[in-house]
Amino acid sequence: MNIDDIKKEFPIFDEKIQNNDLVYLDSANSSQKPKVVIDRINEFYTKQFSNVGRSIHYLAVAATNLYENTRSSVQKYINAKDKNEIVFTKGATEALNLVANTLGQKYLDEGDEILLTELEHHSNYVPWHYLRKSKNIKINFAEINDEGEIPIENIEKMITPKTKVIAVNHLSNVTGAILPIKEITELAHSKGIIVVVDGCQGAPHLKIDVQDLDCDFYAISCHKMYGPTGLGILYGKKKWLEELPPYQGGGGMIKEVKKDRITYGDLPNKYEAGTMATAQVIAFDQSIKFLENIGIENIIKHEKELIEYGQEVLRKNNSVKIIGNPKNKGGVLSFTIEGVHPHDIATILDEDGVAIRAGHHCCQILHDKLEIPASARASVGVYNTKEDFDQLNESINKCKKIFDLK
Amino acid sequence: MNLKELYQEIILEHGKNPRNLGKTDNFNKDAKGNNPLCGDNVHIYLKLNDQRKVEDISFEGSGCAISMASASIMTDLMKGKSDNEAKEIIEDFLGMIKENPELKSNILKEDDKTKLMCLSGVKQYPMRVKCATLSWHTLVSAMENDGKEISTEK
Repeated sequence: MNIDDIKKEFPIFDEKIQNNDLVYLDSANSSQKPKVVIDRINEFYTKQFSNVGRSIHYLAVAATNLYENTRSSVQKYINAKDKNEIVFTKGATEALNLVANTLGQKYLDEGDEILLTELEHHSNYVPWHYLRKSKNIKINFAEINDEGEIPIENIEKMITPKTKVIAVNHLSNVTGAILPIKEITELAHSKGIIVVVDGCQGAPHLKIDVQDLDCDFYAISCHKMYGPTGLGILYGKKKWLEELPPYQGGGGMIKEVKKDRITYGDLPNKYEAGTMATAQVIAFDQSIKFLENIGIENIIKHEKELIEYGQEVLRKNNSVKIIGNPKNKGGVLSFTIEGVHPHDIATILDEDGVAIRAGHHCCQILHDKLEIPASARASVGVYNTKEDFDQLNESINKCKKIFDLK
Repeated sequence: MNLKELYQEIILEHGKNPRNLGKTDNFNKDAKGNNPLCGDNVHIYLKLNDQRKVEDISFEGSGCAISMASASIMTDLMKGKSDNEAKEIIEDFLGMIKENPELKSNILKEDDKTKLMCLSGVKQYPMRVKCATLSWHTLVSAMENDGKEISTEK
């Protein structure tokens, strides 16, 4: 599949959005869906639907096989050692809540410390915050440097003998910084610390090899990865998933239920209580195939070129200030315009069909640190082109004109 | 959709040079409001005198042109109004932003109405309605002085 004309695989780009061609620069928020994924959902509901893992009729068995196929595809895609290390969740948020909650139940004690970074998305902070209240856990934050990166030294200096968990994002959804996960894991493991990675922005845009990264947990958001909403993935090392308690109780996750005792199912069922997002899981197999067909190396190259071009264009535009300047940067470009609030920017850009995000992007800690209430963010996916950044720049100029800026 | 309707001269001018920005001396009522979705925040300071008239009013905060202009215009026209008059104006304004084609209150002078109607452009932008109304809801809270922080997301 040639990445240069990948756009035609996405039906949404045939639509006129308020009479404009869509310039979609909001993939860090959620990606658009290729036709193969949309069609697969339709096909499953039309011709193959059944619940999985329970009944023994033909459709149920076939659906179960399809569901488990996706698990195998994900295992291969992220190079997990064991298929049972892949747990489906309702999103990356639930995956991170699962980890925080079960580690809290079984592994963490009063006074233990968790180390996060100032770049974390709220979904990799709030679940840990609960443990502050329930278990008197202390949370520390590794600081960003002037470029909006987290160098390994900044992690290292915050580690204390009480640090039990380091939970970090793989790729910042604001500055685009790619964190040195492998180095963090090496350092952490040398001190017996667990590493949890929020891979929401990493999984769609980077090569993921969980064995090479050696992290203990890796959370994935499928809707950011050209897949359906309502679906996330938690990768966890088998020893942890076996040792930790279940997160939610319900059908499908049990072995035996008696009036006086309950035993739980084996992996991965132990963590998949109730009817799962069946159609979404089955369709996500197509997202993986779609990514494999393009090739992650091609995706990385394409998005790197785009973001370098985007930075070049916006840097020439005075009054635009780009947030962060990480050496190792993914496809995220956040910026402010002196004298125009990001919400006004977003509304004016929207009029031209340019979809960006404005706000704090679920990173209030970072925005407080940068002493700005909000920022505007352009983020890319496989379907973006350099022309999208030309249009972004043109619409920014329109914005400046409305606000009478030079 | 029409950007010119949203970003009228008066809005841009008030947004750039908001009136009554800062913390007024001797306020006796105040309240904070925030929009967690975008990070907009406002703090209204109010001095109601013994006759329950707005002797002084000001605001602190940061936000988009719409929210700053709205707070600016609101604080300007509330000065000298009794608390009942203020409540009537607030109700009238919120009703206009929500559904009414025009402002009805007789307390408002014609040029006040003209200024407030400049904010009616947000009707076409559902995501921006909260920007225009945050300071107004926060003023209600300040007048009731229940110390409750107003949030656009309940």
